[in-house]
Amino acid sequence: MQRSGKIAVPPAYGNSDCEIMIGTCGYSYLEWVDSGFYPPGTRSAEMLGLYGRSFPAVELNYTWYQMARSDALLRMVNTAPSHLLFSAKLTRTITHERVEDWREQVKLYRQGISCLKERLLAVLVQLPPDFDRTINNRCFLAELLDLLHGVPTAVEFRHRSWAVDVVFGELERRRVSLVTVDEPDLPGLFPALDVVTNPAFFYARFHGRNRQGWRSGTMQKKFDYDYGEAELQQWCERYLAPLARQAERGLIFFNNHVRAQAPRNAGLLSSLIEKSGQESVT
Amino acid sequence: MNRERFVLHLNVADFAVAVERVADRSLQEKPVIVASLQAVRATVYDMSNEAYNDGVRKGMPLREAVRLCRSARLLRPRPEFYKKAMKAFAGQARTYSPLLEPGRGDGHLFLDITGTHRLIGTPPDVGWRLRKQVRKNLDIDPIWSVGGNKLVAKVASRVVKPAGEYIVSPGEEESFLAPLPLFFLPGILPRERGRLQEFNIGRIGELAALEKEQLYSVFGKRAEMLYNLSRGKDDQPVLPQENKPPAICREYTFPGDSGDRTFVEGVVAALAVRIGFVLREAGMTGRRLVLLLGYGDGGSAARQISPVHGVSDDFTLQSLALVLLERAWNRRVRISRCRLSCERLQRTSPQLSLFSVPAGSDRKKEQLQPALDRLRKKFGIDSVRFASQVGLS
Repeated sequence: MQRSGKIAVPPAYGNSDCEIMIGTCGYSYLEWVDSGFYPPGTRSAEMLGLYGRSFPAVELNYTWYQMARSDALLRMVNTAPSHLLFSAKLTRTITHERVEDWREQVKLYRQGISCLKERLLAVLVQLPPDFDRTINNRCFLAELLDLLHGVPTAVEFRHRSWAVDVVFGELERRRVSLVTVDEPDLPGLFPALDVVTNPAFFYARFHGRNRQGWRSGTMQKKFDYDYGEAELQQWCERYLAPLARQAERGLIFFNNHVRAQAPRNAGLLSSLIEKSGQESVT
Repeated sequence: MNRERFVLHLNVADFAVAVERVADRSLQEKPVIVASLQAVRATVYDMSNEAYNDGVRKGMPLREAVRLCRSARLLRPRPEFYKKAMKAFAGQARTYSPLLEPGRGDGHLFLDITGTHRLIGTPPDVGWRLRKQVRKNLDIDPIWSVGGNKLVAKVASRVVKPAGEYIVSPGEEESFLAPLPLFFLPGILPRERGRLQEFNIGRIGELAALEKEQLYSVFGKRAEMLYNLSRGKDDQPVLPQENKPPAICREYTFPGDSGDRTFVEGVVAALAVRIGFVLREAGMTGRRLVLLLGYGDGGSAARQISPVHGVSDDFTLQSLALVLLERAWNRRVRISRCRLSCERLQRTSPQLSLFSVPAGSDRKKEQLQPALDRLRKKFGIDSVRFASQVGLS
């Protein structure tokens, strides 16, 4: 097991006032028992408590599969350690399926997550890979962000066409965070950037760099990747320093959940950041 | 080894209407009522959500349904077509798990995906992908829900009906069920709900707060089941069709609906004789007899009886079947079909009775049975018949 606290960014990476929270995308995976992150025999109901011993934050991905409901979220929060904070993914019916009554669904979603109160770190708006920068999509996103006004929000683009200054400027005006992604270097994917559009927090997601499995259509292949220490070290030097200089808080989540690589890599990244802090002190 | 179960329940709301809409696109988003249009006192077999919102309910007299929803398109039920659609629906799910239990043409499907997470991903992801696949390939939109057992998954689907999804994490069963009204709970009888209402118990959590002993005093043998239901406990396996307990079924569809009691009794007797013949040929006896009656107006009624000892002789089977008919046919509506099945099959014991041998007429019947079977085997099942029995061939 690793640590459960927030980490101050060491001077080596810029702003020591920026606190970093590292966690994983989701926590309830039976294969994390098989892979040794959770002790043998751990039941699903015990997972969040155990997860909280290692990390200060978690990204809830089941709110992508089903509409956030306060009763279900409250049941979950009641079993969570008091220090654990949450980021919640916006429901697929809004972002991916864009159902006819999506505006109503955004209202329902806001009601659903309201029970998280000050424990909500951010709402993650992940847009589908084919969501390119057309007039229609721009209008949709603008309206969606209007409806989410007042909620800390981060937007993850997956189409390269959104990587333009005018988009970053608009996100900055709205104080919405642009998600920094780490994924395989494949054509068409949104590039990894060190752009901060919201000084309140930056948001980074590690999807793994599995080039072969990325377009396989199965999560088990797509997110099967184990980051090496050198890769994470390099990421810290290239991205963490500029991101941390511009934001008060950093939220970093690992999505490579297969075979419990996400918690292992999240723990490794925490150690690397802490280690560089100790080195810079000595 | 982690033994937590994950059961996925898929349910196409208003299945008959959903299938009819695939066949006829002009029915989309219009109120639709499926009912037997020929019967004088027809009842609603299924209806679309638009018709439901106007107050139409399953089993409601068609005349009343039409009065409530005047713009509804009326369609005749096509059970065989729905069964075919159900088969295609189940086919989509088969690639995810071999433990698949489809309903009988009713749009319900259970899938046990326990232990498959490393192969096909997390249960919510399987539910989402399967729904996407069914929508794409069959153009129907099922509700999907994930629970730790069939009971919880089914209740979760009921909560979000007519569209949506619900994930109940293991360990959350009781707290998920507690605030729900009792009618969400499958398996609880209307008269039991009524009795609980008398005690001012209207929610599942209130029922779960009662001790087993308290339930025993009111519900007797059913107490144990109610106790478990209210706590979300259900260890029923997901049974694929081929793993279902063996049963012998015989069915008859009346060419024109029949209200002639003597004739219907004759048909039921003939079905009992056919089942008895198969049982004896296989050296089996049955310990449960189930009769399903289909009314001409689209309604149905089922009754069952469980004799203490296994039965296989024509005389007992016929008399039990007629008792069932008496109990099931309690409406003044003509019968369109009947289905008799014999379940809980077991081998005929070769052991002789420890006590007295049957005397008198019972002994004669016992001797007559093998003689009848020999004749039927040689000349056909209807070669020798009881006077009450109707020839079906």
